[in-house]
Amino acid sequence: MTPRPHSIAAIVAATAALLALSGCAATGAEPAPAGELVEGGTITYAHQQEPACVFGGWIEQAYLSYNVLDSLVSLDADHEVVPWLAESWSVSDDGLQWTFELKPDVKFTDGSDLTAEVVAYNFDHWVNQGGNSTAFAWLGGYYESATAVDDLTVQVDLSSPYPRLADNLTQGYFGIQSQQALETRSDEENCASPIGSGAFVVDHWDRGQEIVLTRNDEYTSPPANAEHTGPAYVDEIVWKFVADATTRVAALKSGEVDAIYDVPAVQWDATGDAGFELLKYVTPGRPQQLTFNTAQGVFTDEKVRQAFAYAIDREEIVESIGRGVIPYEGNGGVSQTTPGYSQKAADWYSQDVDKAAELLDEAGWTGEDSDGTRTKDGEPLQVTLPYFAGSIINADGASILQGVQEQAAKSGFKVDLIPVPQAEAFAGAYSQPDERDIYPGYWTAVTSGILHINWGAGAGGEPNNWNASFTDYPELQAIILAANSEPDVDAQNALYEQAQEYIAEHALAIGVYDRLSTLAVSPGLQGVWQENAQGGPTFYDAHFVQ
Amino acid sequence: MTLTSSSETDAAVPGREAGAPRRGPATLRLVAGKAVGAVLVLLGAATAAFFAQASLPGDRATVILNIRAGQAIARTPEELAPINAEYRLHDPLIVQYLTYLKGLVVGDLGLSYQQHRPVIAIIADQLGATIVLTLTALAFAWIIMVVWVTLTAGRGPVVNALGGFFDTTAAGLPHYWLGIILLLVFALTLGWFPVIGGTGAVGIILPALTLAIPLAGFLGQATRTEFERSLDSPFVLSARMRGMSDVGIRLRHVLRHAVLPAVTLSGWALGATISGAVVVEAVFARPGIGQVLVTAVSSQDMPVVIGIVMLVAAFYVLANLLVDIAYVLIDPRLRRAS
Amino acid sequence: MTATAAPPAARPTAPARLRRQPWDLYAALAATAVFALAALWPDLLATQGAFTMDLANTLQPPSAAHWFGTDEAGRDLYSRVIHGTAASLGIGIGAAAVSLTLAAVLGALAALGNRATSASVGWLLEVAFAFPALLLSLLLIAVLGPSILTLILAVGIGTAPGYARMVRGQILGAKDSPYVEAAIALGHSRGRILRQHILPNSLRPLVAVFALSIGQSIVWASSLSFLGLGIAPPAPEWGALLDAGRPYITVAGWLTVIPGVVIVLLALTTTTLGRHLQSFLEKGEK
Repeated sequence: MTPRPHSIAAIVAATAALLALSGCAATGAEPAPAGELVEGGTITYAHQQEPACVFGGWIEQAYLSYNVLDSLVSLDADHEVVPWLAESWSVSDDGLQWTFELKPDVKFTDGSDLTAEVVAYNFDHWVNQGGNSTAFAWLGGYYESATAVDDLTVQVDLSSPYPRLADNLTQGYFGIQSQQALETRSDEENCASPIGSGAFVVDHWDRGQEIVLTRNDEYTSPPANAEHTGPAYVDEIVWKFVADATTRVAALKSGEVDAIYDVPAVQWDATGDAGFELLKYVTPGRPQQLTFNTAQGVFTDEKVRQAFAYAIDREEIVESIGRGVIPYEGNGGVSQTTPGYSQKAADWYSQDVDKAAELLDEAGWTGEDSDGTRTKDGEPLQVTLPYFAGSIINADGASILQGVQEQAAKSGFKVDLIPVPQAEAFAGAYSQPDERDIYPGYWTAVTSGILHINWGAGAGGEPNNWNASFTDYPELQAIILAANSEPDVDAQNALYEQAQEYIAEHALAIGVYDRLSTLAVSPGLQGVWQENAQGGPTFYDAHFVQ
Repeated sequence: MTLTSSSETDAAVPGREAGAPRRGPATLRLVAGKAVGAVLVLLGAATAAFFAQASLPGDRATVILNIRAGQAIARTPEELAPINAEYRLHDPLIVQYLTYLKGLVVGDLGLSYQQHRPVIAIIADQLGATIVLTLTALAFAWIIMVVWVTLTAGRGPVVNALGGFFDTTAAGLPHYWLGIILLLVFALTLGWFPVIGGTGAVGIILPALTLAIPLAGFLGQATRTEFERSLDSPFVLSARMRGMSDVGIRLRHVLRHAVLPAVTLSGWALGATISGAVVVEAVFARPGIGQVLVTAVSSQDMPVVIGIVMLVAAFYVLANLLVDIAYVLIDPRLRRAS
Repeated sequence: MTATAAPPAARPTAPARLRRQPWDLYAALAATAVFALAALWPDLLATQGAFTMDLANTLQPPSAAHWFGTDEAGRDLYSRVIHGTAASLGIGIGAAAVSLTLAAVLGALAALGNRATSASVGWLLEVAFAFPALLLSLLLIAVLGPSILTLILAVGIGTAPGYARMVRGQILGAKDSPYVEAAIALGHSRGRILRQHILPNSLRPLVAVFALSIGQSIVWASSLSFLGLGIAPPAPEWGALLDAGRPYITVAGWLTVIPGVVIVLLALTTTTLGRHLQSFLEKGEK
């Protein structure tokens, strides 16, 4: 969609359409059995990972803050940007000046008012004060300044056009916090209980166990794609952290919790058969993919990369280990739910071991050692594939990577599969070109603009540390930059598709599977939906039924 | 930590020298010596923790930033500068160490890198759950052990061998595995217990049993030998001649003598349970110090890690002091000696 | 960990016990033979390779074709357990060796060194005791990166202080024994007394302790694997197998139960051997 001015009428129409389609908000939900809505109650929800703070640049933080903070805009089930704290917005003809008109009379839960000045302060906080590194990744290079034009009008100035700005602002990283709270409270307080204008307020946090959110009784500012207005239905959410998936499923089945996050593939069908509502969100953005290090090592040779892609039957591995729940993804650039997705790029490679052998012969890997690993000048065809176990790659994902390892071995690749504990991962282990040959991982995004983050040039002469290939491809970067600033949606998508095909053709990255965000909800609880920017559980409309 | 041999009871009594004399006049000196020793041990533990953490690979500022961002990438010096400044990570190591020791002396363990909270508060939050778990497990272990040993020791070779076999097996059960099996059978399959334990009274049973069963086997091994020896002793014979019942003899006389080594081991077990607690808390999704420790190590949250080391070390020192006291209470000979 | 640690040595007190057939010893010896065979010639016992996948037959329960069932990628669990024996036993033996070597040196220094040495080694041991052993292992693994060698060191160093204390106790005991007093009275040299009396008598029990500690080390190492800090999957090391099976516990319990049983069996085997060895050595002393 093109950014366009939103008139009040348009909003009313959009809201009405959404209300009519309200069932759609809960993606993949079964039609709910009729039941009487019960006000109040406590939702016990079992999540997987516990972040250090409620607000931040990690998806786990976005999930939480989405229930506590309101953003300027929201994404609906049809991937349209709809009003939230901003009632309307417009962009200047040159694409450099965005104007957001705020909803009046919105108060933060500390009593302060939502004003244009506060929103401008938040932009500055994310980008210039280290407030949110992911917001920075999106806005950096485009964002110039944010200013309050009047009490309820914010103007955001960009250095080059970014027509998808509003789309990106729907992610939880862009939640608006009270300026008063940010300025006067301690880091500790803002970490554990940020002050927003959201449907829920952080009551307390028992570290290692749960965060308790209570209803904001004064809530007036739900997103346009919500199913009702006014305060949330339930009194309280007990947001538990239960790392073990089996435990979460069992707790749901025994009635200890009302909803759980991340249902393992192997338990998916059984959980649905037991009468629980299953919600599945195929994350847009970068899929779980393998990016080759093209700066150093064996994969500097395009033929070797292509041989690797031909050596493995990614679809078979994903289908059998993912048990039909985890979608196969051939595209190494973006996932199938991302606007501007190229099917052509996804279909570029399928298993062809003869072709793999041929390519390896051409590349000079003609020898073979006793293990069946190909060699060239006595050097084995050995590659390092570190993965961040338990955080970025879950148990199903690790098994899938083992399948890749096993199949690649048949074509003569010796893949060293190294699970990297979180500490090492975050310490920057395997982040250097001489440390790894393949990088697996995902990055949730609302648009194909993620290609810019993953493949763009670094700012100010610094290398782009998010470019896992360690190589600048000026041709590819030019396509992506043109796409980012292209105002016409179709033309923009065509450019993004071209970029993905470039990635496929040169085998810079190959897709493996799509990251999922899944929920299972007990039949007595209805109206839980996954927000459409990242798939986080949203409890604003949730209510118990009798 | 592994305990090695009970033929060497004092081996298990940390802080006590073999056959250390207990004399009244020397008590004050003894106490002072113990206090100095304890402080030295704490200092050593703090130092070891500090330098172990300092030697971890990777740049600490990068870790702090990456965890806040949920990213695992290299960072530019500009990005790292504010964090290095905030936590003074560019000070020479020795300066950081001295600053840290100074903080310890005044009881300030510093701020968590990740939670922006005082370490003391983080630990205080979680300590209760772990202590309750440990004490409950210890109580369970004693109950299981006393019942089992009283029932099976000295009942002829077959029963005795069977009893010993179960002691050995129980002592060899890995915590994580036992925990998973208990969870699978009693919570997931039978549904007798909640899957997510929480801190409630019912929720603690399975986690405590997970810690208690191996400990019971372990204590049982120590007690059984003593128990059998005591059954043959003259005072048991005389009690029998006085017409005392078998159960009475076992409980009133034999047990009292036989449990001394087990008491010793309990003190050690109390201090060392932290390792087991880490696993049990992970399996049963229980809050506690163990969870905090694993998270802190994995996020290189150094102030928290060192804080927990200090806590465990202090706990250890205290536990052994308690054992010394329990010893005196149980064994009248020692009471007289002191 | 903790209480799963080496069992206290049973002193065979009741004479009846000695006369009895040591059926447990026979069983332990038989088990040792099987474990040794699996470690040295895994291909003799395994039906498949350790990593052979069969994506059409995932999560199959134990059957005639797959004695221990298959995992999520269709790998044969029985074959994986067999292939993993070498790694698991290697870790156990390696860690026990590291631990006891360290213990012998530290224990001897503490017992025989001069005042300063003895005091500082004693202090070191106290600190090591007060330091959570699991944390020590966690830190070592964080510094060195997870590998078999790291696990051996992490477990070996973590368990050494306990044994060191034991060695010190043994040596101190031997120093006070009548035969050493007699040797001193006879004017034997310090070195000779040490060589002929103190060291042999105090280090001999270590032989039995070595056997005992192998099983304990394997349990320890598998605990670290369980916490995701051990050997990288898909390696078939037992702890790693157990951890890999955990997500499937409600649908494929055998993936967790069987490796656990194998670990416990091995621990039981080495413990039994160690205890018999211990009583045999004690008898020899008398």
